[in-house]
Amino acid sequence: MRLRKKSLATSVSALLAAALMLSACAGGTKTANPSPDTGDKGSSTPTEAVSDKYVLGEQPLDFSFYGHYDWYTMPTWGEDAATKWIKENKKVDVKAINSQGNAQQKFNTMIASGELPDVIWMDRNSDVEKLRENDMLVPYDDYLDKYPNLKEWLGEAGINMLRSPDGKLYQFPNWYTSQPNGNAGYVVNSKIYKELGEPKLETTDDLTKYLEAVKAKYGNTVVPFEPGIEGQGIDILYSAFKEDALTRWVSIRGVPNGDKLTSIFTDPTYRESMQYAAKLFRDKLISQDALTQTADQIKEKVMTGRVAVYAASSPTENAMNAHAELVKKDPDAGYFMIWPIHKEGLDKNKIFPGTYTQLGWNVSVITKAAKDPEAIFAFLDWYTGPEGQTLLMWGPEGGYWDGYEEDGITPKFTEKYVTDAAGLGKLQADTTNLQWNGNTVFIDTAKAKYESTLPEEERNWSTRWQYEVTWKTQANATEFITLDPAPESEEGIIRQRVEDIYTEARAKALFAKDDAEVLAVLDKAEADAQAAGYEKLLAYKTTKWQANLAQMNGQ
Amino acid sequence: MVRLGFGDRFMMIMIYIFLAFLAFVTFYPFWNALVVSFNSGADTSLGGVTFWPRDFTLENYEIVFQDKRLLNGFGISVARTIVGTITSILVTSVFAYGMTKRELMGRKYYMIMCIVTMYFGGGLIPSFMLIRGLGLMDSFWVFIIPGLVSVWNMIIFRTFFAGLPNGLEESAKIDGAGNWGIFFKIILPLSGPVIATLSLFTAISHWNEWFLPSIYINKEDLLPIQTILRQILNSNIMSEQMSNLDSASQAALSRMQSVTTKSLSMATMIVATVPIIMVYPFVQKHFVKGVLVGSLKE
Amino acid sequence: MAQISVEQKAVPKRKRDNGFLRFFKQWDIQLMVLPALALIFVFSYIPMYGILMAFQDFNIFKGMGGSPFVGMKHFQMFFESPEFMNVMRNTIVISLLKFAIGFPAPILLALMLNEVRHMFFKRLVQTVSYLPHFLSWVIVSGFVVSLLSTDNGSVNILMEKMNLIKEPINFLSLPEYFWGILVTTGVWKEIGFSSIVYLAAVAGVDPHMYEAADMDGASKFRQIFTITLPSIMPVVIIFMILAIGNLLTAGFEDILLLAKNPVLRGVSDVIDTYVYRIGIENSRFSYATAVGLFKAVISVMLLTIANVIARRSGNSLW
Repeated sequence: MRLRKKSLATSVSALLAAALMLSACAGGTKTANPSPDTGDKGSSTPTEAVSDKYVLGEQPLDFSFYGHYDWYTMPTWGEDAATKWIKENKKVDVKAINSQGNAQQKFNTMIASGELPDVIWMDRNSDVEKLRENDMLVPYDDYLDKYPNLKEWLGEAGINMLRSPDGKLYQFPNWYTSQPNGNAGYVVNSKIYKELGEPKLETTDDLTKYLEAVKAKYGNTVVPFEPGIEGQGIDILYSAFKEDALTRWVSIRGVPNGDKLTSIFTDPTYRESMQYAAKLFRDKLISQDALTQTADQIKEKVMTGRVAVYAASSPTENAMNAHAELVKKDPDAGYFMIWPIHKEGLDKNKIFPGTYTQLGWNVSVITKAAKDPEAIFAFLDWYTGPEGQTLLMWGPEGGYWDGYEEDGITPKFTEKYVTDAAGLGKLQADTTNLQWNGNTVFIDTAKAKYESTLPEEERNWSTRWQYEVTWKTQANATEFITLDPAPESEEGIIRQRVEDIYTEARAKALFAKDDAEVLAVLDKAEADAQAAGYEKLLAYKTTKWQANLAQMNGQ
Repeated sequence: MVRLGFGDRFMMIMIYIFLAFLAFVTFYPFWNALVVSFNSGADTSLGGVTFWPRDFTLENYEIVFQDKRLLNGFGISVARTIVGTITSILVTSVFAYGMTKRELMGRKYYMIMCIVTMYFGGGLIPSFMLIRGLGLMDSFWVFIIPGLVSVWNMIIFRTFFAGLPNGLEESAKIDGAGNWGIFFKIILPLSGPVIATLSLFTAISHWNEWFLPSIYINKEDLLPIQTILRQILNSNIMSEQMSNLDSASQAALSRMQSVTTKSLSMATMIVATVPIIMVYPFVQKHFVKGVLVGSLKE
Repeated sequence: MAQISVEQKAVPKRKRDNGFLRFFKQWDIQLMVLPALALIFVFSYIPMYGILMAFQDFNIFKGMGGSPFVGMKHFQMFFESPEFMNVMRNTIVISLLKFAIGFPAPILLALMLNEVRHMFFKRLVQTVSYLPHFLSWVIVSGFVVSLLSTDNGSVNILMEKMNLIKEPINFLSLPEYFWGILVTTGVWKEIGFSSIVYLAAVAGVDPHMYEAADMDGASKFRQIFTITLPSIMPVVIIFMILAIGNLLTAGFEDILLLAKNPVLRGVSDVIDTYVYRIGIENSRFSYATAVGLFKAVISVMLLTIANVIARRSGNSLW
C-alpha cells in the first residue's frame, strides 16, 4: 500500500510537469494553427474573379485531393492515357493525399491541424455538414451559372436537394442520375435451371420449391441461394413481400407509415421476410456461411457455377465474369437474371429489390484551403461534362472513338472499341478510380445508343440485364437520403445503440430455430431499441425525411 | 554422450512428433500464399489451389516488380529498419544498463515514469500536434526519433543484464574502468542472445509498422512497403464495407473495386515479408548454448 | 529537460550525505538514463494532456481549449451502457483464456526446442513456427474462415470423412466455439515468435550445469525442472507481470475479423472492439478516451498487484 501511494504521488507530479510543458507547448502550436486566417484568404479570391470566366488549360492548375475512404488509393495522376491527356492539354495536375487505410484518423488530424486538402471526396453525411458549419468549405453558388454542366446534367431540383441548411451548395455529386440505375436482383444459374426443367420462378413459393429441388438433386455440392456479402440477398428478399416496399427502408431502419417513419422491427413486411429467410436458412437452402464468408469465397462459388440463385445488391460484376468463364467450357452454362421474386398475389411490376438516388453516391467538396476554388470548380464541372466523361470512359479522341454524333456530345465509337475490348478494359480499370463526378445519364445514354446497334449475343452481359431487368426494377429513394444524426448528438448516440441492436437481431433472427423464435427475437429487439430511445431517433429521421420531401417539391 | 533412459527417450519422441506437427501447421498458410502468388489470378478465383500452383505464372511478380512505388517503398523500409534498429538498440541498452545500477538515484521513480507510458497516452491528436510542432511531418526521422526508446525492450534488457555474473564487472571496476567502459567492453559482448533477440524484434516491428506513415507521411516517395501493401489489401476488402449504400451506389463502388486479384495481393505480401523473415535464421547463431560461458573464459 | 532532473533529484532519500552531491558524483550513470527519459518525456508525457479529453465534450473543430468540461459524464455513460457487463465479462474471460494458454505455450516450445539435438531440425522448426507472425490478420482470418467454412471447409470435410459428424458444423456462427477458435488461432500465430525471447534466455544457461547433472544421473526430464526452468525464471516472471498488466487487452483485429457474424457479439464484444465501434468509427473522441483511461487505470492496478506478488520471488519491475 505504501508503495502505491508513493507511485501515485510520482505519477501526479509527472503529470503536473507534463501539464506545465503543455501550456508552454500549446502556445507554440496555436500560432501554427491559423485556420480562420487561411479561410479568409481563400474566400476572398472568388469575389475578385467573378467577372471573368476561368478557362481550363490557359493557366496551370494544381490542387490536392483526398479520398476519405480506407480502401481508396488515388492512382497517380497522368499515368493513364486519360489523365495524361488532361495533364498535357488542360495543364491540370492533381496531387493525391491518401488515407493509407486510416481514413477516419487521417481526417481528424487534418481538421485538428487546420491543414485541409483542397478537395475532399467523401460520403454525403454529417461530416460534410460539420465542415460547413465550421466555415471550411467553399460554396459553389457563384460558379453554377458560369460553368453549366452540373446545372444541366443534375438539374435544378437535384441541386436544391444537395443544398445545405444555409441555402448554399457545397457538394459536387458523383454518379448522379435522373433515370433508374443499379444492379440489385436475382441471378440464376442457367445450367442448373435447365437441368431442373426450367420451372416457373416468379413467386416466393416458386423460389422455395426451386431451392428445395436444387438441394434434393445436388446436395452439398451446390449452394441453392447465395446471398452475397453480409447476407445482402436477405434484404433483397424484403422487397418480395410488399408492393412498392424499398430495401432502403431496411437500411435506414425506418418504414414510412403515412408521414411518419416507424420501427423496422414491428413492420409486418420485415417480420414476414425474416421468417421466410430464416426458414430457408434453417432448411439449409441459404449458404450457411452467409454472415461470415469473405468476398473471395463468394467469387469462387459463383465462378465455379456452384450457386443456383445468387441475390445481392450488385451481383453483376461477379456474375458477368463467371458467365464469360463458364460459357467458354459449356455454352449451356452461365447465368441470367430473372424478374424480381414476389409473394403470390402481388403485382410483380411493383417489386423493387434495389434503389437509387438522383444525387448518386458521394460528393466532392472544395475546402477553403484551396487557392483558387473557382478554377477547381471549373475543372470538376468540365470533368463531369461530356468531354471529361468521354475521356475518362473511352480515352482520348482517335482511339476508341472519333468525332461526335449529330448531337455534338455522343462520341462515335470506332472499330477498335469492339476489337480491342481488352485494351479498353485496361483503360477503364485505370480510370474508374479517378471517376469522382460520374455522370450516369451521359455515360449510360452513350453506351445504350451504341449497344442497341449490336446483335443480342454481342452485348455485354451486365448491360443486357440492366436494360431487361434491373433498371426497370430499381426504385427512386432520393427522399430517404442523409437522415442520420451527427454521431455525438443525443440522437446519434441512440442511433449507434439501435444499429447494434439491429445488426445482432437480424443475425439472430436468421439463425432462429422456428418462426416463433424469429418473432421473439424481433420483439426483444423492439423492446431494447425502444428502451434506448428508438422513438426519438425515428422522430428525428422523420423530420429530415419530410424536409427532403419539401425540398424536392421545390419549397 | 550420455545414454538416454526410457522415459527420456519417450519424451524425445513426443517432442519430435509435436514439433514436426507444429512446423507443418505453421508453414502451410505461408506456403499456400506462396503457391497462390505463383498461380494466375483468374485461375485462383476458381478456388482449390492448395499445395502446388495449378496454372503457374510469374505474371504477378512481374506486375509487382514493375511498380516503382513498391520498389521505392522497399528501399525506405530497409533504410528505416536498419537505422531505426541500430539507434534504438543502442539508446535503449545504455538506458537499461543505467537502470540496473542500484545506486542510481531516482531509479524507482524513473522506472515508474517509464511504466506509466505503457498504459497512459494522450491519443492521436496531441501526438500529431507534437510531431507536427517538431517539424517531423513528411520527414524520414519520424520513423526513427519517437521510437528511439522502447520501455518494453528496456525492461527485457534490464532483466538480462541483471542475470549476468557480477564478478567481471567488479574486477573491471578494480582495474579502474568507468561504467560506460564496463558497459561497452564487458556487458555488451556478453549479451549476444538478448541483443540478437531485441534487434530482431525491433527490426521486425520497424519493418511491419504502417501506422506512423499513414498519419505523418503524405509524400509518396517516403512511404514504406507495408503501407503500400496495406493499401492493396485494403482495396480488396472494401466490398465488405458497403452494405448501407443504395444499389446504384454499390454498383458504382464495385466498378471501382480494385482489379487486384488475390494472387497479386499474395505476391505483394510475399515481396513485402520475405526479406524480414530472412533475418531470423542469421540471428539464430547467437542462440547457441555456451556463448556466454565461452566469452567468460577468455 | 533541466526541469525534470531538478525535480527528480529532490525526491530521493534525504538521509546520509547531501543528495545534490551524490547526484553529481554519479553523473556517468545518470547520463545513461537521462537522455532516454527526456525522450520519453517529450514523446509520451507531453501529449498526455490529451487524457483531459475524457472529461470534456471534445469538439475537434474547437480543439481542447474550446471544448467544455463535463466531468465524469463519459465514464458514467460507459458504466451505465447496457453492453458494459457483457463487454467486461468477455474481455476478462478471453484474456484469461489467452493468458492461461498463450502465456505458457511459447515457454513450452522453447523448452522442447532446447532438447532437440539435430541442429538443422531445430532451426527449421524455429524459423517455420515464427512465420505466421508475419501474416496480417486479414490474411490469417481469410484462412481460418475458409478452413472452417461449412461449404468445402477442410475441417468439416475431414470430420465428415472420419464419420465424426453428419452435417457440417457452422463453427464461426456458434457462440460455443468462438473462444476456442480465437485462442487457438492466437496461439498458433504467435507461439513461435514469442518463444524467441525464451530461447535467448535458455542460451544463457551454463552448459556445465547440465554436465554436472548428467554425471549425477539426473534424467533429461528432471533437468528441465531443476536447471533450465529455474535459469529462465527471471525472464518468465517479468513477462508474466507485463502480461497481467495487459489483461484488459483481450484482442482487437483478431476478434473483429473472426467474429464477423453478429450472432457472436454476446461472446466476442470486448472493450477494444466496443470502443472502436462506438468511439473511433463515430469520432466520439471523449468517450473513447474515457474508456481508454478506465482501462489504463485498471491495468496499472493489476500490474502493481502482480509486481508486489512477484517481488517475493526476487524479480520485479520496480
